[in-house]
Amino acid sequence: MRLFGKLAIASAIAVAGAAIALPASAEDSVKLPNLSYRTGPFAATGIPLMNGQRDYMLMLNERDGGINGVKLGYEECETGYNTEKGVECYEKMKAEGAIVTQPWSTGITLQVLPKSNVDKIPILAPGYGFSAMQDGKTFQWAFNPPASYWDGASMILNSIADGNLDNLKGKKVAFLHLDHPFGKEPIPLLEALAAKHGFTLLPIPVGLKEMQNQSAQWLQIRRERPDFVVMWGWGAMNAGAITEAVKTKYPMNQFVGIWWSGLDGDLKLVGDAGKGYRSLSWSLPNSESKIMKDIKQLVVEPGHSLINRDAGEFEWVFYQRGVMISLMLAEGVKTAQDHFDAKVINAEQLRWGLENLKLDDARLKELGADGMLPPFSTSCSNHTGHSGAWMLEWDGTKFVQASDLLQADRAAIDPIAEKAAKEYADANQPWPVNGECK
Amino acid sequence: MELLNVLFIKPFADMFAAPDFLLQVLWEGLVSGVLYALIALGFVLIYKSSRIFNFAQGIMVVFAALTLVGLHEAGVPALLAVPLTLLVMFGLAVAIERVVLRPLVNQPDIILFMATIGITLFLVGFGELIFGGENKVMITEQLFIPTGSFELEPFGGFLLIEQKDLTAVIGAVVLVGLLLLFLNKSKMGRAIRALGDDHQAALSVGISLSTIWVLVWFIAGIIALATGIVWGARAGVSFALEVIAYKALPVLMLGGLESVLGAILGGLAIGILEKLFEIYWGQPLLGGNTETWFAFVFALIVLLFRPQGLFGERIIERV
Repeated sequence: MRLFGKLAIASAIAVAGAAIALPASAEDSVKLPNLSYRTGPFAATGIPLMNGQRDYMLMLNERDGGINGVKLGYEECETGYNTEKGVECYEKMKAEGAIVTQPWSTGITLQVLPKSNVDKIPILAPGYGFSAMQDGKTFQWAFNPPASYWDGASMILNSIADGNLDNLKGKKVAFLHLDHPFGKEPIPLLEALAAKHGFTLLPIPVGLKEMQNQSAQWLQIRRERPDFVVMWGWGAMNAGAITEAVKTKYPMNQFVGIWWSGLDGDLKLVGDAGKGYRSLSWSLPNSESKIMKDIKQLVVEPGHSLINRDAGEFEWVFYQRGVMISLMLAEGVKTAQDHFDAKVINAEQLRWGLENLKLDDARLKELGADGMLPPFSTSCSNHTGHSGAWMLEWDGTKFVQASDLLQADRAAIDPIAEKAAKEYADANQPWPVNGECK
Repeated sequence: MELLNVLFIKPFADMFAAPDFLLQVLWEGLVSGVLYALIALGFVLIYKSSRIFNFAQGIMVVFAALTLVGLHEAGVPALLAVPLTLLVMFGLAVAIERVVLRPLVNQPDIILFMATIGITLFLVGFGELIFGGENKVMITEQLFIPTGSFELEPFGGFLLIEQKDLTAVIGAVVLVGLLLLFLNKSKMGRAIRALGDDHQAALSVGISLSTIWVLVWFIAGIIALATGIVWGARAGVSFALEVIAYKALPVLMLGGLESVLGAILGGLAIGILEKLFEIYWGQPLLGGNTETWFAFVFALIVLLFRPQGLFGERIIERV
């Protein structure tokens, strides 16, 4: 009886786990896995994004029968934001016929990046990963549309400097970041810009075990009195930082985060006290758009979605950004299908599709997502698209748009990105470079 | 010369130059230390009575806090949600004893340790399935925990003391006091200590192993709930709380795995020292984030001189 009970519990858990995947038969589907994290210290920020990704794919399958009659086999492999588990998931998904890798962590991206040339599976890392991946000639299999971390750092600095970085001369900018490849990614650019424009950069790392107890970091901020705090936070770090900022009474209008530091749920912890906090974003939520109405009607209301409706997750920036991420991937699939006149495409064909994305205003409108994503296109030499981004501001209950579309300083970024790409290729010889791309 | 200055003179000069800031650092260190001590206590109690290193203590903090918030979200009044959460933690203790520990009696320690890793993995999945992985707001105000702050001006400076931190410190002191009273003055408490001292002897005088195991896991559950409320009030309730449990490891190395007093003093010492080191030495000299390793290095140095920890039992074996 005891054994029976244990088996019953184990079976129930296995069935529940399997139910999360969206099976589709091999003949009429493409396998589009997601290395997700719905557990662990980063689950709070991961879940709404992954829900958005999943619901868009579900909606396309439900509304259109997939893309051109091919079902989208969206499937999650849980990594817990752990790099080793991420690599295991990558290998598992590769063996099962994945045509794309969505690594969902800069650490995992850096691990699978060298494998992508050999395995010939494109990496799609929207708004994250190694910024130098913008160089499509060097990183033929990696894509980070619509904006890279270096784009983000440049846009944040431009914003706090009112459009002219020389305005920051003599000022102090604290860089509060997760002590992890993700958090360290923009430091080379920030250091270069600090040296060029004469401001002091104060990097303040937050360890994984200190994410919820950042009193030491905020004591340093109290002592150093920086003019601005720029946050590169993820997971529990964001909530920890925002509550400490409120506690230390740091002026919220001088506190700006990257696009992954703008989770509605984190700001709801402090409510009105967080008014004025800004977060850069390359997506704008619009629950009245056609795409969101379709998701609501076909996925959320029938109860197929995993979102927390009571918490208002449908309206959240992160949920709708997840939708935009799947939109980019689906558009890559469609572009490849059209170009190769094929239905069930392979990984190499998808790579071509991602390299030839053209999400202009007309196409976004046609998809029912006008205004939710800045228009951009990719090419063989430009795997990012550099769409620009908007600044969002917390008004006490939700994020609202607080700027026009901002653009990164290409003259500052491109030479550094080119140098970083070359250094990466040199350090990982033999590294194939796309000589046909001009 | 410059090195000597930044190591031995400048930090102390900074402390004297801004004594209000030093007080703030000490206060923040004390609050962290109290919280580390609470987590370490959960480990110590279970180890003391069963020689099991409970890897699941961290996830128990998450599970208890999520249960409390989850019950409240389901419409249960906050003050009723607390005893109901304790009931759930009691049920968990009974289940762990029946399903995991009892079948493993007399197995090597490493097997029991591995079993607690299994409990951790189960609670992670089970908790996520029931409560979801989103960050939830701790029901601080509903539990009548004050959320304001005292702004003091010592030495003409500024010292901010959050009322919820003050409540946490007072609550932890009361909890530890009650625990010590229970362990030292009650019959069951003495039974726990007896089991910790000598399993065979304790069993021979009729102490029930299963009852004591349920009891200590339940007490660890109570401590987990208290810890979850306090940490959750600071930055929300999510699975990230589990990570904080790892901060208790150097506390246990320092204080000794069997000592309640060691857990308390070890927690306080590490909380205060790591904060002082980070602010006055770590940030200016090493770029910060020394809190991730300072406690381990400090505990390691102590272990070089006292391998059993500051308050652990010295093990003498004949060879």
